[in-house]
Amino acid sequence: MNRAAEYGITFFVWISGIALLCTVGALLCFLLYKGAPSLNISLIFGETRPLDALLLRKEVFDGLFPAVVGTLLLVITSIVWAVPVGVAAGIYLAEYANTGHKAYLNLLLDILAGIPSIVVGLFGFSFSIFLHRHLSDRIYPCFLISSVALGCLVLPYIIRTTEQSLSSSPFFIKTTGLVLGITKLQNIVHILIPYNVSGIISGVILAIGRCAEDTAVIMLTGVVAMAGVPSSLLSQYEALPFYIFYISSEFSSQEELMTGYGASIILLTLCVFLFTLSYILRRRVATRFAIYT
Amino acid sequence: MKPLVEKYLEKGFFLSTVLSASITIFILLFMVVFSLPLFKGGHIVHLLRLGWDPYHGSFGILPMVVGTGVIASIALLIATPFGIGCSALISIFPQGNFGKFLRKVVEFMTGAPTVIYGFVAIFLLVPFVREIFEKGTGMCVLSASMMLALLILPTIVLFLSDAFNSVPKGYLDAADALGATPAQKLIYIVIPSAWSGIISGMVLAAGRAVGDTLISLMIAGNALQIPGGLSDSARTLTAHIALIIASDYESPEFKSIFVCGLILFAFTALIVSVLRLLGHFETLRDR
Amino acid sequence: MKLAITVAFLCMATLLSTGSSYVAAGDLDRFSGQKGTIRIAGGTAHIPVMKEAAKRIMSMNPDIKITVAGGGSGVGVKQVGEGLVDIGNTGRKATDDEIRRYGLNMFEFAIDGIAVVVNPKNPVAKLKRQQTADIFSGKVTNWKELGWKDRGINVYTRDASSGTRKVFWKKALNKGKITNTANFVKSNGAMKSAISVDPYGIGYISVGHLDPTVRSVAIDGVPPTLENVRKGNYKIARGLYMNTGGVPAKLTKLFIEYILSKEGQGIVIEKGFIAVK
Repeated sequence: MNRAAEYGITFFVWISGIALLCTVGALLCFLLYKGAPSLNISLIFGETRPLDALLLRKEVFDGLFPAVVGTLLLVITSIVWAVPVGVAAGIYLAEYANTGHKAYLNLLLDILAGIPSIVVGLFGFSFSIFLHRHLSDRIYPCFLISSVALGCLVLPYIIRTTEQSLSSSPFFIKTTGLVLGITKLQNIVHILIPYNVSGIISGVILAIGRCAEDTAVIMLTGVVAMAGVPSSLLSQYEALPFYIFYISSEFSSQEELMTGYGASIILLTLCVFLFTLSYILRRRVATRFAIYT
Repeated sequence: MKPLVEKYLEKGFFLSTVLSASITIFILLFMVVFSLPLFKGGHIVHLLRLGWDPYHGSFGILPMVVGTGVIASIALLIATPFGIGCSALISIFPQGNFGKFLRKVVEFMTGAPTVIYGFVAIFLLVPFVREIFEKGTGMCVLSASMMLALLILPTIVLFLSDAFNSVPKGYLDAADALGATPAQKLIYIVIPSAWSGIISGMVLAAGRAVGDTLISLMIAGNALQIPGGLSDSARTLTAHIALIIASDYESPEFKSIFVCGLILFAFTALIVSVLRLLGHFETLRDR
Repeated sequence: MKLAITVAFLCMATLLSTGSSYVAAGDLDRFSGQKGTIRIAGGTAHIPVMKEAAKRIMSMNPDIKITVAGGGSGVGVKQVGEGLVDIGNTGRKATDDEIRRYGLNMFEFAIDGIAVVVNPKNPVAKLKRQQTADIFSGKVTNWKELGWKDRGINVYTRDASSGTRKVFWKKALNKGKITNTANFVKSNGAMKSAISVDPYGIGYISVGHLDPTVRSVAIDGVPPTLENVRKGNYKIARGLYMNTGGVPAKLTKLFIEYILSKEGQGIVIEKGFIAVK
């Protein structure tokens, strides 16, 4: 190709990289610039004293505390049931499944991984209607339904990372125990899993991040604009991402808008933190693996 | 460990897998069951017609299907060239640590919440677009496509950079030996060799673009029309579901969102099958 | 003599003021010793009043929990009918069909108007009824036809579940069409935010939500002030209702009584509506 085209392409490639960095930088700066002024204790606790709020003695009305608590509790409950199921399934796929079944199961799990989050939310919503009609009158879109739906959303992440870590363990890690006579299960529990703990945990952390930031699923399954700290599994609740969404479409004053920016910063920091943690763990796995290659 | 405990544990593993895989089937089942009355009543033809106007009896979701198609396609159109450029910068062009830095930034972007993209776009991008077009509200196809392109860019970049990295070293070394410049390597060797990887990356990003809810809900304007141009307000299937969910449980209006869910599910299944055919599913990223 | 009168006056004043504050504290007193949850959903115009009332009740009695959600009047009716919430708010009267189907009890607690609003930068301050209908149906599409710049009119409207929309459609637009190019917003608050950032927008919100970030437009010469709504001069008005399915439960009943009490109606006035009592 001629010189001009070559320079053109090189120029374009560099421009793409720089444009991307500038865009991301601009977004971050804008967010920090607008949100920094609102980052103080009253953003989270409103007019209530922090100690009263933390001990749940008093409700917080004008602060993000209920939303933060809602997000935290949501993440914990979703992970609590998604991790055991996900890790178990990952183990099965890596160690026990024969190729015939595996292809079939993998197809279904890949589809689950790709389903838009709003369809998962819709599923959660229709599931709650189903339960409402057939099981108990007291069940409606609530905290429990949301955590089940979120669990379904992140299950593929956990399954996939577990399966990948287990399958890509070095050959002799997988086989030495068996050669020495222990059973397959003992091999998994005592050797493979401890070896792959970082990989599995990094998948769990990614799942945590996904739960914390998802909005579409919770919008359809029980999050509301004002509910205080969730009082039971069957109650409605608030969450940070929904708060940000809500504020963006209806803010009644500049101060409220500022809280939206503040909440965005908090959520972004949380997600970046989780992501970094997962990244560090994955690097540890990589370096460990590198020793054996 | 006692043999009995072992046996139960292994059964447990199997059951977990079956449970996880069957969630997909349940989702499909619920979508079908809830939209069944609509199929039975013969309304399905009406559904694919134009015009959503519940008070006057028409529940056509055609504008939403077109809206999804248009916004996702334009986002893909914007993101792919930039994606190829960035991955080329990371994997092929020699520049020391800049490439590594860029890659780290892209990886971090995959962890950023979508709602924040939307939030910032409303206050930064929308007024800007409004002034550029000098008509409309700024909440239109263009704004939504641009933000969506930014959202799917990391998917494309990470996927492509893996694809570029898996071009056989021998080819690149041979090119170097012959004195090729990076641009020449990119065009004549890497792209043809990683072509199926590029297509897979685009398919994956398309799936992500179609499935995203928040960006189009917050920025595309949600008007009930087939968008005629870049500055027109439009509504996607995903935003439609989110907007209508607040309605009642009996009317055709409500049941139509399950048909939307069905369409989205079918689209996902299609994407997955295409990716399998292209053979790139094993190297899938987390998003 | 003068001293005596002053002292008497002061005594009366003190008595009266402690008397009235006793009454005010009494309105919240009905909640002492109560426990439970009240779930409220529906009309978005009602949200500021509901939130303030909830805040006061929950501060006074931490054993009571009140959740407030929006969604629009249609959602209010459906959810209270299906038993998903205790109080469904509507910004319109429930239809006969709805009352029959769900056994609804209506409690009107405020009167409100619906104002057409534009951005403060927009100089258009008066519109005729017919012009409004033409703008919203898409016949008139450019601000220059109304005496302003050559820019397109950005119409904003609410979703199908909204009571505000239904009343506006009936009373202001004479059940005319709303253009397909209209942007959708989900609540009164969202409409206000949208108009306040879009110089070329036009929309409609509850009069109680009016504030300096938007400018209201006089229809047929009548500006949408509270006075005009109260007197009946401004025709685009509606009541704000709380609805329950059948006879309300104890705690719900107390809440409704509270909203209709002196203090509750005080909140209604404070938030910009007209009290019914």
